[in-house]
This record gives sequence, structure tokens and C-alpha cells, in this order.
Amino acid sequence: MSKINLTLKVWRQKNGREKGGFETYTAKDIDTDMSFLEMLDVVNEQLTHEGKEPIAFDHDCREGVCGMCGAVINGQAHGPLKGTTLCQLHMRNFRNGETLVIEPWRSRGFPILKDLVVDRSAFDRIIAAGGYISVKTGQAPDAHAVPVRKEDSDTAFDAAACIGCGACVAACPNASAMLFTAAKVSHLSHLPQGQVEAPERVIKMVEQMDKERFGNCSNEYECEAACPKEISVEHIARMNSEYRQAKWKAKH
Amino acid sequence: MGSLSTYFTSSVGRKQIVAVTGLLLILFVIGHLAGNLLIFLGPEAFNNYAKKLAGLRPGLYLVEVGLCFVFVVHFFVTGVLVYENYLARNTQYGVNAAKGQRSWATRLMPYTGTLLLVFVVYHLLDFTFIDKHGHRSILADGNSYGLYGVVVNAFADPGHSTFYIAAMMALGLHLSHGVESFIQTFGFNHPRYTPMIKTFSHIFALVISFAYSSIPVYILLNYPKVP
Repeated sequence: MSKINLTLKVWRQKNGREKGGFETYTAKDIDTDMSFLEMLDVVNEQLTHEGKEPIAFDHDCREGVCGMCGAVINGQAHGPLKGTTLCQLHMRNFRNGETLVIEPWRSRGFPILKDLVVDRSAFDRIIAAGGYISVKTGQAPDAHAVPVRKEDSDTAFDAAACIGCGACVAACPNASAMLFTAAKVSHLSHLPQGQVEAPERVIKMVEQMDKERFGNCSNEYECEAACPKEISVEHIARMNSEYRQAKWKAKH
Repeated sequence: MGSLSTYFTSSVGRKQIVAVTGLLLILFVIGHLAGNLLIFLGPEAFNNYAKKLAGLRPGLYLVEVGLCFVFVVHFFVTGVLVYENYLARNTQYGVNAAKGQRSWATRLMPYTGTLLLVFVVYHLLDFTFIDKHGHRSILADGNSYGLYGVVVNAFADPGHSTFYIAAMMALGLHLSHGVESFIQTFGFNHPRYTPMIKTFSHIFALVISFAYSSIPVYILLNYPKVP
């Protein structure tokens, strides 16, 4: 176990209306076995002792599955490692004396609420627009009642790994939400249960995504590189094709 | 909800319009290159080709108007998308760092595109809307060589050639992203074929830009004993 000292430049913003800016703090004697969020906890403790407002950041499970945490560290969403969320990024990945610039996700679709906390309800509205299947409630159906091709179930599962953290939007040079929306569309359209509503789903979800004023995809694939669940841009291609076909086949 | 008009206003629909117009422009770029390379066969072959092409009028006007329309749509729709993308990140990051996927070709797409627009306008004024038998067509031996002579005289000037080659390098960068991007935007992505398409995209762009550039390089190296 070793300890390191860091300089943090953290984005502080009181609320969505006021202008934000960077504040510099020192993080002393940081245990390298800590996660990034635990390091922020230590800094916040210190700020509280000094009578200052602690840094607001989102977090919940702290084991990489809930999708709540996330910040841009030195220009990279969820920090420098691939396939991790911020809570799974450990301080051993940083050098003693390093300066870390910590910023919130920046997108017009994700307004800042406070410091590093952004409002990601745009994602909820995209899901509500079509990211569901309609089933009759009642007894749970037999697990093998609907056969699914292994390949399709694997692909659907890969897409379903999306935790909706928003790193794709944060990392996209255009702040586009294509990877998130595509993962949700592709997840359901690979399964037989998702077929019934598939054409309406892709249209409604794409158009809700546009309404949320995210940018447009320009195939830079930074989203895939930043995704903590390493979701492939092949899902974007699938959504592109599904959307085109659904629109050109639509009867009204 | 299902109306086709919203296809043309949606993000995905507009990207697909850019992709299709881009593909048409690529076909033009290939055809134009094939014609240009006739310059290596000498003044007669090149001027005959130019004459034959002009002989296709008035049908050619139709093609030209179509091409112009495709070009304007490609440029205009992309312009709107780029502007929207700029607005979508209303506050810029303090630090920008890629996570490894962005290439220079993708990053520079709007800039190489704008350079190409400027180039196309200049190029038309340079070689199309001119007197093809005027003083610019006369080579060192005092004879007029028509369009062939105009091209040779133009590229004999290193500044002129440099701008042309720079524009062709921009075209190469633009195509190296454009070809693979077309496939993705149209909805094809395959674990085995997508990497092959990317490689093809890069090789294709390299071949096109080098083939176009070979003309000014050839003239610069051989001037004034070209014809």
C-alpha cells in the first residue's frame, strides 16, 4: 500500500443558472488502493472540515453496474482506463504529484445541476419513447417458450450491458447520444419479444433523441472507446439501417 | 410519426443523405480521374476526350446540374449537422483528450470539406470557364494546345501545383473517412468485413489522391518539354 499526493482542478458550479469554473484542491496522502470516488470522499471530508462546500458528484453502487457515477478526467470520460466506470478506476493508475482536471459530462442534452452532477433524464425520456416491450402481465412465461438464436441472444446481451451512464455522450466530439439509443434499440430488436414494436420503436427513440438536442453522429467512435461496458458501434449501424427501413416502409 | 418528411429532418436521415450524396460524388471523382489521366497519352488523346465530352451536350447539362445539386446538398446538409454538433456541446471541456478512436481524417472532415469547396470553385474558374484556345493554351513552341496547353501551363507554376496537390491531399483525407463512414451510416457493420472496409477506404483514398497529384508532379518534373 502506498500513498500519493495529487492536485485536483475540479469544476464547481452552484446550479444550472450560474456560471461555473475550476477550483484547485490538493488531495494529500491518497491510498493507491482507493477508487476515484473514495479519493473524492477524502477530499470532501477535508473540505467539510475547512467549512467549504463539498464537491457534488453522482454515485450509487460503486461496483460498476448502476451507471450513476461518471466524470471527465483530463479530457477522458471515466478516466484513462478502458472498460471501467469512475468507481472502478483506482488511484494506483495515477502518479504521485499528478494534476487531474475533473469535469462533468458536457452536453446540451445533459444540463449541469451542480458541480459534477448532470441531469440525465433525457435518457429516461428516450427509453420512455419506445425502449420497452408490451407484454401481458400474469404468470411468468416458461423460460424456453420462445426460442432465441444463440448469436442473437449474445448480441442482445452485449447491448443490454449498457448502464446508461452517459459516457458516450460525454466522449463524443459532437455530444451525440447515438451509442446509448442504439444499444437500447438493438437490445430489443435482436430478441423475438422485441419484434412486434420494432419499427415504431426505432423511429420514436431516434426522434426523441433528436428532440433532446444531442449532436449528430459523425462516426468518430470515441463513444465505443469510452463506454465502460465496451458496447460496439455495430449497434449504431444496426439502428441506422433499422431507422431507414422503418421510415421508408411506414404507411402513414 | 411515420411520415417520410421527418426522415429528412432527423439526425439519422440527414446523415444518410450526406452518405448517399457523398457516394455519388465519389463516383464523379473516379470518372473525372479516369478522364484526367488521359493527359499522359499526350495532347491529342486528352483534347479529343475533352471534345467528346463537350459533344455530349445538351445531355451533359443535365448531368452537370445533377452533380451541382448533389454537391450543394452534400455541403449544405453537412454544414447544418456540423453547426448543430457545435451547439450540442454548449460548454467546451477544459481539457480535450481522445480515448483512442478518433483519427485525424475524421477530425478534419469539416475542414477538408471546406477546402474542397473552395478548390472546386477555383478549379472551375481555372479550367472550365476559360478560353481554351487563348494565351494560356500556348506552350513553349508557340503553338496552341487547347485545354492540354492550359493544364500544362497551369501546373508549370509551382504555386499553382502546390495548391492543387494540397487540395488532393485534403480529398484523400476526406475520402479515407468518407468511404468507411458511408458503410456505417447506411447500416452495415460486421466484425470481419468492417476492418476490411476501413483498410479499403484508406487504400482507395491514397490511390485517388496520388493519382490526381501525379499530373502536376509529372508536368513540374518534365516542363518545358512536356508535349
